[in-house]
Amino acid sequence: MTSHAMRDAWYPVGLLSGLSEGGKDSLLLGENITVFGSATGAPSVECSGRTLPVVRRFGHLWTSLGTPDKDLFTIPEADHPERVRVDVGVVRVKCSPLRAVENFLDIAHFPFVHTDILGAESHPEVSEYKVEIRDEVDEVWATKVEFFQPQAARSAGGGITTEYMYRVPAPTCAVLYKTCPPRPGAWDVIALFVQPLTEDLCDVWPWMALFDDESALTDLIHFQQLIFLQDRSILENQIPKRLPLDPAKETPTRADLTSVAYRRWLKRHNFTYGAQLVAG
Amino acid sequence: MAAETNARWLPVAVSADILSGTVIPASLPTGPLAVWRSASGRLNATKDRCPHRGMRLSHGFVRGETLSCIYHGWRFGADGACRKIPAHPALVPPRTISCGPLPVAECNGTVWAAAKRPDHEPVAYDGYMALRSVVIAASCAAVETACQGARAHGASKTRLGGHDTLLVMNGYAPNAVLVIVLVAETMPVAGRLAISTALEALRRTVETWGRAA
Repeated sequence: MTSHAMRDAWYPVGLLSGLSEGGKDSLLLGENITVFGSATGAPSVECSGRTLPVVRRFGHLWTSLGTPDKDLFTIPEADHPERVRVDVGVVRVKCSPLRAVENFLDIAHFPFVHTDILGAESHPEVSEYKVEIRDEVDEVWATKVEFFQPQAARSAGGGITTEYMYRVPAPTCAVLYKTCPPRPGAWDVIALFVQPLTEDLCDVWPWMALFDDESALTDLIHFQQLIFLQDRSILENQIPKRLPLDPAKETPTRADLTSVAYRRWLKRHNFTYGAQLVAG
Repeated sequence: MAAETNARWLPVAVSADILSGTVIPASLPTGPLAVWRSASGRLNATKDRCPHRGMRLSHGFVRGETLSCIYHGWRFGADGACRKIPAHPALVPPRTISCGPLPVAECNGTVWAAAKRPDHEPVAYDGYMALRSVVIAASCAAVETACQGARAHGASKTRLGGHDTLLVMNGYAPNAVLVIVLVAETMPVAGRLAISTALEALRRTVETWGRAA
């Protein structure tokens, strides 16, 4: 059995709305787990005869193989009663769970991967933004991220400059706050919860809490799935499969400061499941 | 000794399969590569990995005389140097950023590449032209045994579909060989079809041996 810092973190293992009482086999950090639903509302997760701790939050069931030293993070903004909370579902990706998170933190790929939706080739510039590791909460934050988007959200009518904030509260989770087209001043919340199956295979559970009175739920889900499937075509074709933490292995620029901070934070905490430490 | 092995031309594609303005994936024993032809028709090869975030460049796109990565649009010239980083339009990319260009050459309608530049050009087979390629899931030795061909300047002389052909091979993985069949330039269509069918049969034979063993 491997022993590493990531065992003590919380991970999503299923949608609360989709659990099966008979149990469903899955993997977490390479170990076999079984996820059980419950008619009485007390789902559980087992690993080699052991009952794992669980938390129900953000429409998902969360568990940990180890002993979490803190509660699963919260997203207070998402609790607003007028928001639509969207369980997008699951996308299995043959990539490192850390690469999946890093891609979510990146805006410079929008014009080329999400062409004419989240970005346009005529507007590829990434202006300066602010990145910090907030020691008091032990999270990575990027703020004042601005980008021109032809269709920022399902609810966006035309091209706008969108403002983003990114937050990494757990090694395989990231939360994005972005300008909300129908409600200036408020932030849409889009999160990426990644279940690390192995070091190069993951189940990605996107989740959203939006202000959108008009779009049908199905359309919101389709929009997010389209975006993520475009990302998958990248994620399954990066070399090496594992995220290199050796700074000499890849070539970041100013636009990649969030990814640089994320890698530094992973290294600091020994969150290296899915990472490559030595250049190879 | 490894360097000596790497300074060797290996066939990687049929020339006609790479139109101007396109890029394809290919393989050498040293790793994957991206082979692309610029708008003006110039052929280039590079390691199949963008130095920025490791994305395969064979998924990218060609504009003019440059190859762009599909992930962030980083643009590379024929010399491998990074020409443009779209996220920072005003920035002149540092000269140190390179995608790792590889030697490439064309003759007999075949694209040849090498991990390290050989001290000679690829062997030209007079009067022959590439017909097609096939990947056989077997070792190079198994393929050579199956075609029972006489070796001639790196090619295997083999009768296929009742015609003389030359097979050139690239065993880029322990169990994968790219075979390109060269036929007489004057070969009529009926002969080309017969050779193509025979090549498929050869592939099935070798792969069946592999499964039996």
